Amino acid sequence: MDQESCGVKTKLTKSERKAHKKQNNARQTLLRHEGINTSREVTKHLVVANAGLSNGVHREELWRLFEPHGDLQDVVMVTGKPYAFVSYNDDQSAAAAYTAFNGRMLKSPEELQQPNVTFYLNYIDEVPSQRATGLDLPPGLRLVEDFVSPACADRLLEGLGWSNEQQQHMDAEQALKHRRVKHFGYEFRYDNNNVDKDKPLPGGLPDWCSQVIDRMMSGGHIKHRPDQITVNQYQPGQGIPPHVDTHSAFEDEISSLSLGGQTVMDFKHPSGKRVAVVLPARSLLVMSGEARYLWTHGIIPRKMDPVPVKGQEDSITLARREVRTSFTFRKIRHTPCDCKYPSQCDSQLQRPGASLPRSEGEAAQLEQQHVHQVYEDIASHFSSTRHSPWPRVVDFLKTQPIGALVVDVGCGNGKYLGVNKDVYSVSITITSFIVNICGTNEGRCAHQDSLLFTRYRTTHDEFLTSPLKLERRMKAVKELTRLLKPGGKALIYVWAFEQEYKNVKSNYLKDTKGNEPQTDDVRDKSSTTTDDIRGATSPDVSQNDSVQQQDVGLPVHVNRTSFKSQDMLVPWHFRDGAKKQQRDSHPGVKEKSQEGPVYHRFYHVFKDGEIEELCNSVPGISVIERYYDKGNWCVIIQKGL
Amino acid sequence: MRLLTHNMLTSHVKGVTNGYPLKLQAENIKVMSVDFNPEFVARMIPKLEWQALVQAAESIGHLGDLPRELMPEYESNEEFLKMAHHVLMEVEVIEGNLECPETGRKFPIKNGIPNMLLNEDEV
Repeated sequence: MDQESCGVKTKLTKSERKAHKKQNNARQTLLRHEGINTSREVTKHLVVANAGLSNGVHREELWRLFEPHGDLQDVVMVTGKPYAFVSYNDDQSAAAAYTAFNGRMLKSPEELQQPNVTFYLNYIDEVPSQRATGLDLPPGLRLVEDFVSPACADRLLEGLGWSNEQQQHMDAEQALKHRRVKHFGYEFRYDNNNVDKDKPLPGGLPDWCSQVIDRMMSGGHIKHRPDQITVNQYQPGQGIPPHVDTHSAFEDEISSLSLGGQTVMDFKHPSGKRVAVVLPARSLLVMSGEARYLWTHGIIPRKMDPVPVKGQEDSITLARREVRTSFTFRKIRHTPCDCKYPSQCDSQLQRPGASLPRSEGEAAQLEQQHVHQVYEDIASHFSSTRHSPWPRVVDFLKTQPIGALVVDVGCGNGKYLGVNKDVYSVSITITSFIVNICGTNEGRCAHQDSLLFTRYRTTHDEFLTSPLKLERRMKAVKELTRLLKPGGKALIYVWAFEQEYKNVKSNYLKDTKGNEPQTDDVRDKSSTTTDDIRGATSPDVSQNDSVQQQDVGLPVHVNRTSFKSQDMLVPWHFRDGAKKQQRDSHPGVKEKSQEGPVYHRFYHVFKDGEIEELCNSVPGISVIERYYDKGNWCVIIQKGL
Repeated sequence: MRLLTHNMLTSHVKGVTNGYPLKLQAENIKVMSVDFNPEFVARMIPKLEWQALVQAAESIGHLGDLPRELMPEYESNEEFLKMAHHVLMEVEVIEGNLECPETGRKFPIKNGIPNMLLNEDEV
C-alpha cells in the first residue's frame, strides 16, 4: 500500500507523483534484492537510495548534508551499493531530513561532488548490521572506501610515470625484477628499516600527490601532514611479510592508498588474534594507535584471496588478485617514540645484541627472539614452502604398529599428519601460528591432535637451535626419552654442518630453482614471493646491523653456501637472498641489499657424529640407526626395556 | 582436542606434584564420524588411564553407555570397542578449558587445540 491508496486526498503534482513512484521503486528494490524491509512508520533510521558509494557519493558528503537537520548519529555506507543508511538519535530529526531530501535532486556541486542525483528516502527500523564497517577492525584502524575517484586514481598512477622505463634513479625508484618501489620525500632504507632524516630527496613530494594529501587532512582522516611516500607495485602472488613500521622512523598515522586491484591485509596482535582486512581498490587505510604500533600487518603472497561475499558476510568467495599499487603516506618522526607499546618500540626497548648467550636467561631470550618470534612471523610463508613429506620420515612412521602413539615434536605445518592411519599422533609445537596452520589444514586428520606445548626445552626447533650448547640440547633429548615407552623409538633430524656428503652437494647448496628444496631450511620457493617494504621492528633486523657492522656476536649465514660456523643466524627471505643486487648501496653494507625485512633464525648445525655423541651421553637410550639425509644428520634412538 | 589426547596430558606448572588428570570444561563440542578400527582401539586401551577417560567423558556429557570399569576380554567385544572408539576419537572439544587439578591454572582450548604454553614464571 502506498500513500495514494491509503486515501490521502492531496492532489499531487506530476513531479510529486514521479517522486512517489521512484520512492516505491526504491522500496521494492531494497526488499527484493537486499532484504531490507522499509517501515511505514517514522523511525530514527533512513535508507537513502542513490546516495551510495556506487553512486559516487562519499560518506563525508552525506554527513555534511544530513547533519543540519537534527541530531545525527551515524552514516553507514555499503561497498558497491547504490544506497546509504543515515541514523539520527530521534524520530523528529529523521522526519526533518526526510522532508528535506526525499525526491529532491541535488544539483549544486557544493552539495554533492557529482551532482544531479535525486535522493529517495525510506524509514527503516534498524540499520542492517551485516556490513558495519570498522566493527571488528583492530583499534586505531580505519578503512575509508572509495577515497579517490577512478579518474583521480588514474591520475596518480600516471604521475608515477612507470610507463617510462628511462626514468630510473630519478627519485629513488628501484626497478626490481618482480616489483617496483619508489620513494618520495625521503628514501626508505630497507637495510635498517628507517630513513636518513637529514637527507631528504630532491624535489620533495610530487604535486600530483598533494591533492590526495589535502583530502586526507581536510577529511579529518589524519592529523600529521605526511612528508614521505613509498609506492609499491605488487603483482598477483606477491606480498609482504608481517611487520610493524619502525616506531622511531615515523609518526603515528600511516596511511595506505590502494589503487588497481584489491588485496587482503592481515593484521595480527601479539596475542595471536588475527584480522584479515579487505582493502578494496581506491580505499584509504589509516593505521593509528594500537593498529600502527602494536599489530603487525602484512600481505600473504598468493594469487587468490578468500573474501566475504558482498552483502552476505558469512559466505566466502575467492577473489583473484590483480596488479595493485599502494601509496604509503608517512610523516617522518624527529623525536624518539613515546607510544604506549614499549614491547614493539625501538625507541623504548634496548635490545641486546645477538651474541652467544652466557646464561640461561640470555639463552631463553635469544630463543624467544630468534626462534619463536621469527617462526611466528614467517609461519605462513614457511609453511607454504613445505608440503612434501620426506620419504625416510614417512618410512619410519609407516613401520609403527597399529595403535602406536606418536608425538611429532615441532610439527611445522603438519605434513606428516595422516601418513599412517593406524597410529595416533599428537603434534606439538611452540609456535601458535604454525599450530593454527596445521589445525586448519583440510580439517584435521582423524588420528591426530595438535597441541601447543610448554616451555620445556623439548621442541624440535629448540632442539635444533638450543643456543646454550650441550646442556640445553641434552635436556631436549632427555625430554624425548621421558616421552618414550620402554622399547619405544624416536627419530631425530638435525641440520648438518656438512652440506656436501660423499661428494654430493645437498639441495640446499644446489639452489634448485623451481624445485621444492628438500632441506630443512628453505627460503626461496620459485619466484612467486617477494618482500617489499617498509620498516619492520621485527625481532632482529636492527640487531643484525650491529652484528654485521661491528663484527661482534653471532655470524649471519649467507644462504645457499657452506656453513662457516656451527652457531649462527640464518636469514629468511621471501626472495632468493643469494642473488645479490648489483646496484650501488651504502658503503660498508655489503650483503644487505635485500629489499625487505629479513628474519633471522638462530641455528646450531651439527657436525658428523655430534648428534650420536649427544644421544649416547643420555642414560637409558641407545642409537640404533644413523644416516645422512639431504643435508641432515639423522638418528633413530631406542629407549631401553 | 579428542579425549584420547586429553588422556595423555598433564599439568606441568612449576611445583605441581599431581597434575593429572586435567579437569575438562567444554564450551563447544563437535562430534564427527571417524572410521572404526577395532584393532586400533583394542591396542590403545591398555595405554589409557581408564578412570580419567570416564571422568572426562562424563564431565562433558558424552559418557553414553561406556562402562566405568574395563571389562574382561574387552578386546573381542566389538560393541564395547565401538563405544570406546566413539568417546576416544569422535568427540572433539573445540572450545573450552583444561584445568590443573592442583593449582587451578587453566589451559585454554581454541579451535580444538589445547594451549599448554606456560608463562616464563610458571616454568
